[in-house]
Amino acid sequence: MRKTVLLLNIGIFAVFVLSLRLGDQPIPYSQIIGVLTGDPDAAVAAQLIVLEVRLPRAILALLVGMALAVAGAIIQTVMRNPLAEPGLLGINSGGALAALILIVYFRNESAHLVPWAAFAGAFVMAAAIYGFSWRSGASPVRIILIGIGLGSMAGAGASFISAFGEIAVVQQAQVWLAGSVYNAGWDKVQVLAIWLVLPFVLTMAASRELDLLSFSEMSARSLGQRVEIARAVLILLCTMISGAAVAAAGLIGFIGLISPHVARRFVGHSHHRMVPVAALVGGFLVLTADLIGRTVMAPAQLPAGIVTAILGAPFFAFLLWERRYVRS
Amino acid sequence: MSVRDSENAVPLTARNLSAGYARKNILEHLDFEILHGRFTVLIGPNGCGKSTLLRALCNLMPVRDGSVLLDGCQISEFSTKEIARRVGVLAQGPVAPEGLTVQDLARQGRYPHRSLFGQWSDEDEIACRTALELTALTDLKDRAIDNLSGGQRQRAWIAMTLAQQTGILLLDEPTTYLDLAHQIEVLDLVQRLVREQQTTVVAVLHDINQAARYADHIVAMKDGRIAVQGSPEEVINKETIEAVFGVRVAIVTCPVDGAPLAIPLTGRQK
Repeated sequence: MRKTVLLLNIGIFAVFVLSLRLGDQPIPYSQIIGVLTGDPDAAVAAQLIVLEVRLPRAILALLVGMALAVAGAIIQTVMRNPLAEPGLLGINSGGALAALILIVYFRNESAHLVPWAAFAGAFVMAAAIYGFSWRSGASPVRIILIGIGLGSMAGAGASFISAFGEIAVVQQAQVWLAGSVYNAGWDKVQVLAIWLVLPFVLTMAASRELDLLSFSEMSARSLGQRVEIARAVLILLCTMISGAAVAAAGLIGFIGLISPHVARRFVGHSHHRMVPVAALVGGFLVLTADLIGRTVMAPAQLPAGIVTAILGAPFFAFLLWERRYVRS
Repeated sequence: MSVRDSENAVPLTARNLSAGYARKNILEHLDFEILHGRFTVLIGPNGCGKSTLLRALCNLMPVRDGSVLLDGCQISEFSTKEIARRVGVLAQGPVAPEGLTVQDLARQGRYPHRSLFGQWSDEDEIACRTALELTALTDLKDRAIDNLSGGQRQRAWIAMTLAQQTGILLLDEPTTYLDLAHQIEVLDLVQRLVREQQTTVVAVLHDINQAARYADHIVAMKDGRIAVQGSPEEVINKETIEAVFGVRVAIVTCPVDGAPLAIPLTGRQK
């Protein structure tokens, strides 16, 4: 565990430093250090680029990745389905739809309001999924099928808005929707951090409940767990985390799917180890995806969501291939 | 409680119990007492309500009518965790997440003993270690459950219920899908728990002859009711087996331990 965390931290640190250095205007390490240590002699341009553009962007990418990974870890366990992720359940698209409505129809892009809209959308979606699938205790398969259905409807709603909304606003929203941290600022970082603290702490406190939820329902109940309540609370936490991540960076796929798998490889199933490691993996992946996205085709910027999709789709295929002998 | 008192205690009782799924009642007005420190085996044809009875006895399914008493009190008055501290249940064909180790599984048995923020205590550690020792799994504790043999896997699940440290164990078909050697392995373990740990065990078994040889008390069920119950000698006879299973049998005495064995008659012999 310690070795894994150390390695991940080194990886994150390296990519983080590269994120500060690389871009249209590369900044030498000496200047980065100067800016970060508050050296008054540092060049104004370097100060502006590092402090106002690249640093908040890197931190935002890191936080978004952590959020997506934790949300994915929760949902994979609650659904008892290793292929689940908040995107699949339509929770993210619900959040995105609500945020899109706010941005396009109410012309409001405030960093404080968008997360509320996204959380509200994600929550309504999760509540709807749970409400529709409830029949003397909701079964995982039923929840997933209904989630996919409702998610498609939310996606259709988003397409409708994109097609008929005002072009300039829609175009800007589209970049955000594709999963990008391009317009990161300190206000966004702050809001996301505040949104994530409580759900992260609660998720860690509930790691034992998560451990038990991954068993068959009968086993969990016979050990004294109140399965429905635990499931509902954890889905609520997941929607808070997902909503905040979607509000900050739109739809970045596959992180919620990949990170928990990688974490389980490293530290096993126990959630009090798996969840924090998944968070580090997710942070590393989004940070890397964003760095690749904005450097590989520079000056054009590829949204991080597109990079994660390019990397994530083969991983999904790999998971399916690896599980080809697993009986359901 | 002294040993003498506890011998007469009835930890789990069903009174006029009816339970079932949807609109159908599986159990009909059933009365049933579980004897302390004994191995009780439920037998009966498929669908006769054995599993339903086991689930109703630990509050895993709602009771339609009548009541279940745990240590003399209504079971529905206990919290789910409190029930799990008193009654351990092994469901039929339980499923663990892929890659889970034996030790991780045993540790889950401590769930009902821990509060939301409670740390892993020495008591938890000792309970797990003892459970692994009793099931002879100490050497395999870091192995993944999916890599074990059927018998080892079943023992690992039993280790989890033992880590719960309950006085009562309810086992739903613990030997089904195991080969003969593994069946004996599991039944020997259960017998040892009853004899050496004074655990009260209720198990559903399909093999009448294994029931006759291992059980202290046999309950034969049919159509949601108890047909006959008593010692193996009282239950295993031609009339009862034919009435319960609809199969004609000859009864012989086991040459090893004198238990009554039922030999089904085939084809021409009928």
